[in-house]
Amino acid sequence: MRKPGLRGERALLRIGEYLVGCACRRLPRGTGKDRYREWVAELPAILHDPEIRFAPYRAVRMLGYAADTLRGAARTSGRTRHRPPAPLALLLGVLFAAGLALVAWDIRTAVRAPGHWPNYLYLTWSLFLAAWPLGQYAWSTARMTRLLFFGGLLAGMVVNIWTAVQAPANWVNYLVAACYFSVVLLLLWLMRRFGRRHGLSVRPGSTR
Amino acid sequence: MTVPLERVLRAFLDEPTAPRYGYDLMKAASLQSGTLYPLLARLEQQKLVASAWETPQQEGQRPRKYYRLTGEGIRVARLELARSSRQERTPGRPGRLAPGSLG
Repeated sequence: MRKPGLRGERALLRIGEYLVGCACRRLPRGTGKDRYREWVAELPAILHDPEIRFAPYRAVRMLGYAADTLRGAARTSGRTRHRPPAPLALLLGVLFAAGLALVAWDIRTAVRAPGHWPNYLYLTWSLFLAAWPLGQYAWSTARMTRLLFFGGLLAGMVVNIWTAVQAPANWVNYLVAACYFSVVLLLLWLMRRFGRRHGLSVRPGSTR
Repeated sequence: MTVPLERVLRAFLDEPTAPRYGYDLMKAASLQSGTLYPLLARLEQQKLVASAWETPQQEGQRPRKYYRLTGEGIRVARLELARSSRQERTPGRPGRLAPGSLG
């Protein structure tokens, strides 16, 4: 590969590669890796296009190329949505129902005690919990919702610890925290197991 | 035949046997990547276009993918472009695609 000659070129290429990666996650397993190789290889060529003298225009063109692969991937694949296998779909359905129930419960709690800020954090977390199973049905949103979901899990842990520290004598806090951690561990184990078996967690560069 | 497809075929037919890479075709056909690549995929599926990876000239260089028209592709492209030109010359008749044509 040619050495980057302009400042910020590596960062631009990384942005381009990220966009192409997002596009390739929409493609079927067989073609995603191939397309990623092909499209990413074009990025330096566009950035060094001798026919375009104005460097910022080359950068814009490269980013435009990368961004438009998202549209191209959607048109090439003919499917942007992913249907998980039956056992995982069942698990996702249960999670979604649990998420909705939690959302309703947390809204009720937040309305009863509007000044207690952890309630809002709980509500946010339960919204993520409800959103994550839906995100699994669309390749384009799967990664983002996964990040949000795990971010929400960590936030939930922090809130539980904080609540327990605030009232150390209240055994209910410890019970809630223990239940929460157990549920989190169970979820992680189930996702790891099903994710591996059905290949849900995939990166564009991987051999999917 | 759609306008983007016509542009791609014309770009290919400028040098029918020459391999062309995606960005080169984008410039020649004035198309965006989101339009060009699905077209190329469809043409490749119909075996009118063949693709190959280039051999990297330098260490660490990412190989680019080249496309070229197949023999059948050249024949069909010329036929379709000629048909399209004939339809343009007779504006009274709406262009209708023949069965099995590129559409």
